[in-house]
Amino acid sequence: MFTTPRLILIALGAALNCSIGTIVYLVKLPIYLDSIGTILIVLLLAPDRTAAFICAWAAGWVGLAVSGLINPFLPWFALTDVAIALVAALLVVPAAATFRARPLRGDVFTIQVALCGIVLGVVSAIVSAPVVVYLFGGVTGSGSAFVVALFLKDGLHLMSAAIASGLAADPLDKVLQVLLAALLYRATPGDFIAMLRASETGTAS
Amino acid sequence: MTPNGAFTVGFILIALSVAEPGPRGAAVLVALALAFAVIEVGGASLIALKRAAIVVLPLALFMSLVWVGLVGEAPYQIAADIVGTRTAALVYVAKLSGRLFFVVAVIQLVFLRFADLTPLQLVRALALPAPVKRMLAITLSLIGTLRHAIDRAHIALIASGTLTRAPSWRNAVHSWRLIQAVWLSAVTILIGRMRDKWPVEGTMARLDGALDRGKSRVFAGADRIWLPITLAAGCAILLADLAWKR
Repeated sequence: MFTTPRLILIALGAALNCSIGTIVYLVKLPIYLDSIGTILIVLLLAPDRTAAFICAWAAGWVGLAVSGLINPFLPWFALTDVAIALVAALLVVPAAATFRARPLRGDVFTIQVALCGIVLGVVSAIVSAPVVVYLFGGVTGSGSAFVVALFLKDGLHLMSAAIASGLAADPLDKVLQVLLAALLYRATPGDFIAMLRASETGTAS
Repeated sequence: MTPNGAFTVGFILIALSVAEPGPRGAAVLVALALAFAVIEVGGASLIALKRAAIVVLPLALFMSLVWVGLVGEAPYQIAADIVGTRTAALVYVAKLSGRLFFVVAVIQLVFLRFADLTPLQLVRALALPAPVKRMLAITLSLIGTLRHAIDRAHIALIASGTLTRAPSWRNAVHSWRLIQAVWLSAVTILIGRMRDKWPVEGTMARLDGALDRGKSRVFAGADRIWLPITLAAGCAILLADLAWKR
């Protein structure tokens, strides 16, 4: 399972998760995009779901360990990364062929990006909610805190408000991440993908 | 003190702090962290406190705005369906911010304890399985590669008029080009390295040799003092809290 190219891919996915923050900062957009590396690994290792899940999980955790030096709150969301890797392995892997199809089938592509992104967002919101509530009291410093405040004012309990706020914000962010991961997957040279999938075809390095 | 020892002490301190100790427990915890700071980190502890303040203060202000300003009551008051007060909300924010400050400060203290080591030296000193150490070293190296790729691509896209330095609608539409340029740059570099450069130079074998040199130990030296003290303090905190709750 862990051929040298795959180990390098895990490191690349982790590095991408860490570095994407720099890009978001440079272009000054109000988005996170911190799981693109994880989703991209799943796509690059499709159709092997087990390898895709384990490598994506490993990349997520290595990325959290390293980026935890800069943002000490990120490692608390370790379980969210496991959930994202698992759901991506189950849901995004079947979409890999569509994402790379030439010519692009726009309608199927759009539906699959939206479906994968929304499900990933819902799962991510639910898994993150306990950390958001317990560690941060429901307020993480992002704009979604105002949504939490709004729900609390409406009489929702803190956990319900945090989940509802996550459900309002996360699906959009994850749809964007799946879209970007799909575009990067389309642009990735075939040589590189062949190196990563080599162990399955008997040409392992 | 070994990095493994320092990380374990830090982990225990953070775990105890998120277990919501009472006033006595919190006092023991702060005293222990201060002792670690003074004895192991010295003057650099002030840097840890400053960094923790930089991370937590904006968040604390934002929390105050949301809890005290907008919601106007503490979560337990909402849950119990009783009339809330802004004072209770302020106390809640203060407790939460204090805990977050403690967590960030401890993480900073642990890393500043090894500030004289380069990232590669720190990874080498950690007692971890060889593949994990190799992965960490390669990840750190690739982050450097990606940062350079980001700088180059960002400047090129600004020069070509595709992106702007200030926030803009153009950035929202075209920022994916920057991500794609960085990704393709990284993939191309990696294909070259994996196919030609690394096999010829024996990079992986050399990296494993460099990371294994000196046989890092799990716990040694001052770990044997700090770990029992931290564990004993943990027990004391739990007992103090039990007594306080009675």
